[in-house]
Amino acid sequence: MAERMTIHLSVWRQAGPDAPGRLVDYTVEDASEHMSFLELLDVLNEQLVGRNEEPVAFDSDCREGICGSCGVMVGGIAHGPQRRTAVCQLHVRTFSDGDRIVVEPFRARAFPLVKDLVVDRSAFDRIIAAGGYVSATTGGAPDANALPISKRAADEAMDYAACIGCGACVAACPNASASLFTAAKVVHLSLLPQGHVEADRRVMAMVDQMRQEGFGDCSNHAECEAVCPKGISIAGIARMRRAYVRAALR
Amino acid sequence: MQQSARSTLDAKVPAGRLQDKWDAYKDTVGLVSPANKRKRTILVIGTGLAGGSAAATLGALGYQVKSFCIQDSARRAHSIAAQGGINAAKNYPNDGDTIWRLYYDTIKGGDYRSREANVYRLAQVSGNIIDQAVAQGVPFAREYGGLLANRSFGGAQVSRTFYARGQTGQQLLLGAYQALSHQIAAGQVTMLPRREMLDLVVVDGHARGVITRNLVTGQLERHLGDAVLLSTGGYGNAYYLSTNAKNSNVTAAWRCYRRGAYFANPCFTQIHPTCIPVSGSYQSKLTLMSESLRNDGRVWVPKDSQDRRAPHRIPEEDRDYYLERRYPSFGNLVPRDVASRAAKKECDAGRGVGDTRLAVYLDFADAIGRLGQQAIRERYGNLFEMYERITGENPYEVPMRIYPAVHYTMGGLWVDYELQSTINGLFVLGEANFSDHGANRLGASALMQGLADGYFVIPFTLGAYLSGTRVDKQVTVDHDAFREAESSAQGRLLALLAVKGDKTVTEFHRELGRLLWNDVGMARTRAGLEEAIDSIAALREEFWGRVRILGENNTFNKDLEFAGRVADFMELGELMARDALARKESCGGHFREEYQTTEGEALRNDRDFAHVSAWEHTGSNSTPVHHQEALAFETVELTRRSYK
Amino acid sequence: MPPSAKSVLQAVASPVGRKVLTGLTGLGLVLFVIVHMLGNLTYLQGEDAYNLYAHKLAGYGVVLYALEVGLAAFFVLHAYIGISIWLRKRRARGGRYAKYRSARAPSRQTFASRTMIVSGLVLLVFLVLHLLHFKFGPGIGEGYVATVDGEQVRDLRRLMTEQFQSPLYAFGYPLVIILMGFHLRHGFWSALQSLSLTSPRLSRVLYPMGAVLGLIVGAGFILVPLWIYFSQFI
Repeated sequence: MAERMTIHLSVWRQAGPDAPGRLVDYTVEDASEHMSFLELLDVLNEQLVGRNEEPVAFDSDCREGICGSCGVMVGGIAHGPQRRTAVCQLHVRTFSDGDRIVVEPFRARAFPLVKDLVVDRSAFDRIIAAGGYVSATTGGAPDANALPISKRAADEAMDYAACIGCGACVAACPNASASLFTAAKVVHLSLLPQGHVEADRRVMAMVDQMRQEGFGDCSNHAECEAVCPKGISIAGIARMRRAYVRAALR
Repeated sequence: MQQSARSTLDAKVPAGRLQDKWDAYKDTVGLVSPANKRKRTILVIGTGLAGGSAAATLGALGYQVKSFCIQDSARRAHSIAAQGGINAAKNYPNDGDTIWRLYYDTIKGGDYRSREANVYRLAQVSGNIIDQAVAQGVPFAREYGGLLANRSFGGAQVSRTFYARGQTGQQLLLGAYQALSHQIAAGQVTMLPRREMLDLVVVDGHARGVITRNLVTGQLERHLGDAVLLSTGGYGNAYYLSTNAKNSNVTAAWRCYRRGAYFANPCFTQIHPTCIPVSGSYQSKLTLMSESLRNDGRVWVPKDSQDRRAPHRIPEEDRDYYLERRYPSFGNLVPRDVASRAAKKECDAGRGVGDTRLAVYLDFADAIGRLGQQAIRERYGNLFEMYERITGENPYEVPMRIYPAVHYTMGGLWVDYELQSTINGLFVLGEANFSDHGANRLGASALMQGLADGYFVIPFTLGAYLSGTRVDKQVTVDHDAFREAESSAQGRLLALLAVKGDKTVTEFHRELGRLLWNDVGMARTRAGLEEAIDSIAALREEFWGRVRILGENNTFNKDLEFAGRVADFMELGELMARDALARKESCGGHFREEYQTTEGEALRNDRDFAHVSAWEHTGSNSTPVHHQEALAFETVELTRRSYK
Repeated sequence: MPPSAKSVLQAVASPVGRKVLTGLTGLGLVLFVIVHMLGNLTYLQGEDAYNLYAHKLAGYGVVLYALEVGLAAFFVLHAYIGISIWLRKRRARGGRYAKYRSARAPSRQTFASRTMIVSGLVLLVFLVLHLLHFKFGPGIGEGYVATVDGEQVRDLRRLMTEQFQSPLYAFGYPLVIILMGFHLRHGFWSALQSLSLTSPRLSRVLYPMGAVLGLIVGAGFILVPLWIYFSQFI
C-alpha cells in the first residue's frame, strides 16, 4: 500500500497585486506518496475551506505537463527538484516524510502577481504576437509534401517547438530573462524553410518585445535549461543571437 | 415522464451526390464583401483547435473578431494535450487510402450514428489541414527523404495518421495559436484571456452577444457581436475524473442550451481504455497513454480472482489474455469502446489488479523478449517515462496497470450542416458540437474535426449566415436582453456565495462523478439510469443548500468558478442519463446491458434508433423535450461491427 | 537596403547586441590578461628580462598607444554594459525569493557566475589603483632607472619588487587575482556562448576550459608577487 507522509508547507499568500504578501505555514498530514504536488495543494485547499479559510489560488489545467498553466517555485526551484518535470507531474514521493517545502510564485517584474501563486504571463503572448508565427493565412498553402525538409531539421525544430510557455525559465533565471522562451520560438521557425521568409523581421521584433516587457538580460547561467520541463537547450539562445546579428547586419 | 419525439430536425444538408455536396454548397453560398466584413464583429469562445483556427481565419478574412479563453493564454486550451496524431486522406504512403475510405472508416467507427454529409466533408478537407499546418511551421515527423511520415493508428488498415512525436495536439494548437497571434498583432482579433462565458444573449431569436466574467476581477462584461461561435470543447469532466483538463467544462454550452440550443446525444461519451488507474481519493484527474501501446502490449488479468501474487510470479497458465481470447482476429487492437468494456467486465468479476483492484495489466514482456528493450524504448520511451513518473513503477520490468477513463464526448450542441445550432447565429465547432463522430470517435480524428470546422468550414457557412441575415444595427449592449442575461448571471454567482454551507465544491463534483461513472458509464441499465436521474436531482438540491464557497465575487476566486461549472454539470448529468434511457439500444460508447448479443456484444437497433437525439430545454424544473434528426444512410450499408 | 545608423544603434543596445559586445570585449580582455601574465612571468627569467620586455613594448610607440586606447575602450564598454545588465536584472526580478537554489546540472550557475558583478567591480577599482601604481607610477625622473643594453630605461623591476615586498600588496594582489580567476571561469565560456560560438557538444569542452584558463592565468599572476615577497626573507 501507498506510504503515508506528513508534509509541511510554507506557502506564499497574497490577496492581490497591491496587497502585502507573506509565507504562511501549513501541514498536510496523511499525504500519499502517489499524489502529485498539485493534488497535495488540492488536499490542503479542501482542509482550508473546511476551516473557513480561503483556499490557496494557483493555476493548473491539463495536469499532464503539456499546457504550461502550472508553475510555482517548490523548495527554491521552478517546478521543484525533479528534472524535466512540470510541477503537476511532480509527485510527493520525491520528498521525505516530515519535509518542509517553501512554495512561492514565479517572480519577475514582467510576470505581475495576480493572487497567491498565480501570476500574469501575458508578456509571453505579446512576444509571440511580435513575430512568433509564419504569415500563412488559411487556404493558400501548397501541398504538404511540396517542400521536403530533412528529418534532422524537423526533429531539431520539434525540440524547440516543444516549449510549453510555462515561464519557469524566467522564474529560475537570476536575471529574470526570457531568452530561452523567445529563442525556442525563433529557432523552431528558423529551422524550417516555411519560417525563413520572415526570419530577420521575426528575430528583431521578438527580441525587441522581450526587452520592452522588462525581462532581464541573459548572463548565460543556463539555469533555464536546468528547470525547463521540456529540457530545451540554451544552444537555442546562441542560435537566436546568431540570427539576430545576421538580421541586424543585413 | 418521457416525452416522445416531437419533430424531425432539418439538418439543411445540400442536395446532390454525397461527393458533390460540399462543392455545390460552396459554389452557391452567399459571400460577404470585404467592405462589409470590416463591419462585422464575431465572438469566438474558446481557443482550442476549433476556436483558435476559426478566430485566426476569420480575422485574416477581415472580420472583427473577439476571442475569449478561460485560461491565462490562448495557447493552453486542452487540445494541446492530444498525443497520437491527426488523420488525413493524403495517401502519401500509396497504401490505398482515399477520401472515401477515411469517410467510411469514420462513419463505421461511429457505429452509424453520425451524419453522412458532415463526415464526408470532414474527409474531404482533411488533406488541406495538413497543408495548412505544414505551411505554419508545424514540425510533423518526417522520413529521411524529407517527406512526411505516416503511421497506422487505432487499428486502421492504412497509414494515414500524421504526428509530431507524442505531442501532435500541442503542435497543431501552437500553429493555430501563432496564426491567432498574428491576427492579434494585426489588430483583427481582440484577445480576452481569463474570461468565462456565463450566458448567451439572444435578441429576436438571434445570438447577438455573450456575458463573460473577468476571472481576475470578477467583473461581468457584455460583448455584442453579429454572430457567436462556440468552441468550448467537451463535457467529460461531468464525471469528475477524466482525462480532460481541470478547467474543461460545459458551462458555455449549457447556458446556450438553456437559451434554446438543442443538446444532441449527450449520452455518447468515449471511455478510453489505456489510462493510468486511480491511485487514491485525492486523485484530481486521469492521464491517458496513447493507445498505440496496445500495438505491442498484451492485456491480461489473473484467471483466479483470489490470485494476489505479484504479476511476474503468475505463470502463463494462470493468466487470462481476455482480449486475445474473446477477439481472436483483432486481439489487443479492438476499438476503444470494446477494450474499455472488456476491462470493466474483468474488474467487475473481481479479477482486477493493483491496490484498488480497478486495473488490468498491459504487459510488454513478450515484446521486449521479441524485439529487445531498445526497440521498445524507441517506440514508447516517452510513454514509459510518463508512466513511471506518475506511478513510480518501471514498466520495462513490471507490467503497466491500466484502466479506462472518460476521454472525449461525442455528444454536444446540435448543429446543422452549416454548424449552426437551433439558435440563429450561434455556431458550434469542434468537440462542443455533436456532428461527426456518431456514437464512438476513432483515434486521430478529434484534431481533424476541430481544425476542419475552424479553418475550412466556418469561413463559408458564417458568410452564408451573415450575407443572408439582416442584423439589427440598433442593438447595443444596453439592450434589455443584455441586461437580463447579465443580471441572471450575477444572480447565480451571488446565490452560490450565499449558500455558505458545509461541503466543498470538490466533494459535490466527486459525488456527481461517482454517480455518472457507475450508472451512466461504460455499461448502463434502465434501473440504474432511472436511479441516477433521481440521485442527481437530489444531489443538486443538496448542492444548493450545502455548498461552501469562500471569498468574494469581485476577486480572483477559483472555487466560485468551479462551483458554477459543477452546478451545470449536475444539470447536464441528468440529461445524459435521460438520453441514455431513451436510447434503447447499444451503440459505440453507449452500452445498455439490456441490448446485447448472447456473446455480450453491443446490439444496435437501426430500425428505431438510427437518429440523433436532440433535447430542448423547457425550464429548470420541467422535463426537456426530445427531438430527433433522422439519419438517412444513402451511401453506406449499415453493418454490425465485429472484431471476433 | 543597408541598415541605417539608427537601426544599428538599436541593435547594439538590444539584449542580444549588449551580450555580443560584452562577449567581444570580454574575449579581448582575456587576450590582454594572458599577454600581461606572460609578460609578468619574465620577471622570473633573470635580472634584465622584465625591464627589457617592458622597454621593447614601449618601443612600439604609436601602435602601443592605439592598443592601449582600444584596451581602455574595451574595458570601459565591458564594465558599462556589465553594470547596466546588473541594474536591469535587479529591476527585472521584482520581489525577492524567500528561498532560491539552483537546480544544478545542466545549469551553469555557480559562485563564479553569480558574482560576476562583484568580481567585475573589484577588478574595476583594482585597475585604477594598478594603473596609478605602475603605469603612472614613479619613472626615470624619480630615480627608477635601469640600464638595458647600454640604454637607460625605467626600472619597472625595482618598482615591482618594492611594491610586492609589502605584505599588503603581496597578499591583496592575489586576492584580486583569485576573483579575476572566477570572473574568467564563467566569463570565458559565457563570452563564447554570447557570440554563438558554442554548441552543446563544443560546450562540453569549452566550459571546463574556462576553469582551466582561470586557474592558469590566476596562478601565473600570483606566482610573481609571492615569489618577490618570500624572496626577501631568504
